Amino acid sequence: MRSHPVFLLYGIVVIGLLAFAQYRGFTMSRVNEQKVVPKTVRDNPGAYRSHYGFYPRYIGGK
Amino acid sequence: MSSSAVSPPVVKAKALYCPHCGGPVQLRGFAHTLSAVCPQCGSILDTSTPLVHVLQEAQARERIEPKVPLGSRGKLDNVEYEVIGFQTRTIVVDGQPYSWDEYLLFNPYRGFAYLSEYQGHWNVIHTLPLIPDMVPRAGKNAVRLEGRTFIHFQRSVAETTYVLGEFPWRAHVGETAQVDDFVSPPLVVSAETTEEEVVWSRGEYRSGADIWKAFGLHGSPPRAVGVYENQPSPYGGNIGSLWRMYLAFLVVMAALMFGFVVTAEYKPVFHQEYVLSPGAKVAPSFVTPVFDVTGHTSSVRIDIRTDLENSWAYFGLSLINDRTGQAFDFGREVSYYHGREDGEDWSEGSPRDSATVPAVPPGRYYLRIEPELNEKQTFSDMRYEIDVRRGLPSWGLFALAAGLLLIPPIIGTIRRGSFEAARWRESDYAPSITLGGSD
Amino acid sequence: MSQPVANCPQCGAPVQFRWSGSVQTVCDFCHSILVRTDVDVTKVGTVADLPPDASPLQIGSEGQFEGKPFTVIGRIIYEYEFGGWNEWHIVFSDSTSGWLADAQLEYDVSFAKTDGPQPPPADQVYRGHAFDIDGRRYEVTSITKAHYKGVQGELPFQYWDKEDVLFADLRTNDGRFGTIDYSENPPLLFFGRAATFDELRLKNLREFEGWR
Repeated sequence: MRSHPVFLLYGIVVIGLLAFAQYRGFTMSRVNEQKVVPKTVRDNPGAYRSHYGFYPRYIGGK
Repeated sequence: MSSSAVSPPVVKAKALYCPHCGGPVQLRGFAHTLSAVCPQCGSILDTSTPLVHVLQEAQARERIEPKVPLGSRGKLDNVEYEVIGFQTRTIVVDGQPYSWDEYLLFNPYRGFAYLSEYQGHWNVIHTLPLIPDMVPRAGKNAVRLEGRTFIHFQRSVAETTYVLGEFPWRAHVGETAQVDDFVSPPLVVSAETTEEEVVWSRGEYRSGADIWKAFGLHGSPPRAVGVYENQPSPYGGNIGSLWRMYLAFLVVMAALMFGFVVTAEYKPVFHQEYVLSPGAKVAPSFVTPVFDVTGHTSSVRIDIRTDLENSWAYFGLSLINDRTGQAFDFGREVSYYHGREDGEDWSEGSPRDSATVPAVPPGRYYLRIEPELNEKQTFSDMRYEIDVRRGLPSWGLFALAAGLLLIPPIIGTIRRGSFEAARWRESDYAPSITLGGSD
Repeated sequence: MSQPVANCPQCGAPVQFRWSGSVQTVCDFCHSILVRTDVDVTKVGTVADLPPDASPLQIGSEGQFEGKPFTVIGRIIYEYEFGGWNEWHIVFSDSTSGWLADAQLEYDVSFAKTDGPQPPPADQVYRGHAFDIDGRRYEVTSITKAHYKGVQGELPFQYWDKEDVLFADLRTNDGRFGTIDYSENPPLLFFGRAATFDELRLKNLREFEGWR
């Protein structure tokens, strides 16, 4: 352990970040796009166009 | 009481006059010196008898200036030495000559030592009053000393090709010895075999900076070129400890993950079942009732389970904070196909999928769901359920962390491997293919 | 240690015996070799001028070996084809006698071995010849034909004007040392080990111009 103090520090930092990320619920998934959505969406969900709205069509399958 | 005529209490340094040119020759080695090179004419003189005579005529080649001048004094391992002799020794490997320099160091109480230099690599060498045990090791010869194993590196016949200063033997140009080097970096054990005897010695690698500092020399030492046989690896013989540390990190991370898994709430937050009929003209979007997401900021997992068969459906989802209006948008596709062909069942995809929203603060939320069916292939209603839960640890992050921590040991191992390969390329043996070496 | 004082039969100078076991000594003033019997001291020869040598030891130097203090009281000087060495006769505080060899400032302490194995005859010993002695492997590292160059001080036997002597040196893997001295028949054995300058804690050494 003594002979690689930099690696020890690096490991502590990485593990610390891992612990923090797990606690805060970070993930690797691509979930994004946070914006302020008007209250009216509750009444009229169809009016809301999410940024993610241009979802790719799955052309394929069997 | 000793006779002062024979053994004076203070031994005086000797000087004599060269029988060839008459110039003065100082003898720093007192009565140990058996041969000395006249600094004026270059003749090698035999000083073993009171009648000094020429042992070998002056060397025809150009005079070499030793990098550490004759007469320099320095402290090595807490012992003061004076440089009294210098020789260049040459070996021939695959038709190529390689030469190194050896400096004879003298202390009137502790005796002689040697300083060798090759391409900027230095070694401090002392003779050993013993014969180390020979052990075979991985197809090569090796010796054991001080609890270490020294692996055979090179055998060569060394010829003295230049001399300056004094020696406690009748040194001359052309004398040869078979040299065997056994290495355990930063040490080397050598056997020098002549007709008369075998002398074993132990050398320790030093940097040019160490030598310059020890002898108080000006300027900079010659730059080290390449990797020398017993040069210590800067990547440490303890690559093993780097990997052990990695293993320790993995164990800590696994324990951490175990802790998170065990304490994960995975609390059910919302659950609802729905039916979607094909043929809807406009993609129907709707919102769920508001539900509570509790606890500290952590992930929220949304599972979608359907009863799809041989079709696909797409779900556009938004998790919206009722109070702040903050929205997390994501989409998930579910596709599932299966059948039987040539007597074998096959399947592709899955009738369920999930999404994990990271770092969702506690609060009141609702989902906006926009499901879409594959019109071409779906002829019946799709039943699906949305299940929202709180707080599951991410294995992806664990894998990322494990990968990040893997970088230094891998880089270290590769670098060490290439350093050791460079070392052994200079030996009598083909370079190692593996990343190994002696630990 | 008794220190009887006698007078040199040649020149009358006082002659001191530091050790009760001394058989021979050399008069410091006239260099007569004196042999001691129960009754008196007899001159048996003369020592020529000793060659200049660079050993830091001298008669009267003191040191320690494995915790026991010793004094240097005599020496034999040898020369061979490639140089020379000193065999310093040392006597410990418990009156045991030993040898401190100084060969180009490499020191070996050894003691006469009386219970050793029969050494091979002089014409059959060779470099590399290995023996198992007291559970250790000894190997012959050098065979030296030496000629006696002179004596000084007190010796435990008579030794002067000798003919060439053959020595076989043996070493182990841990610094132990042995010598077969073929000057007598049967050959004499001396066993001991290498010692460093520091561990010998030598005092009362000669000084060297320009050093410490």
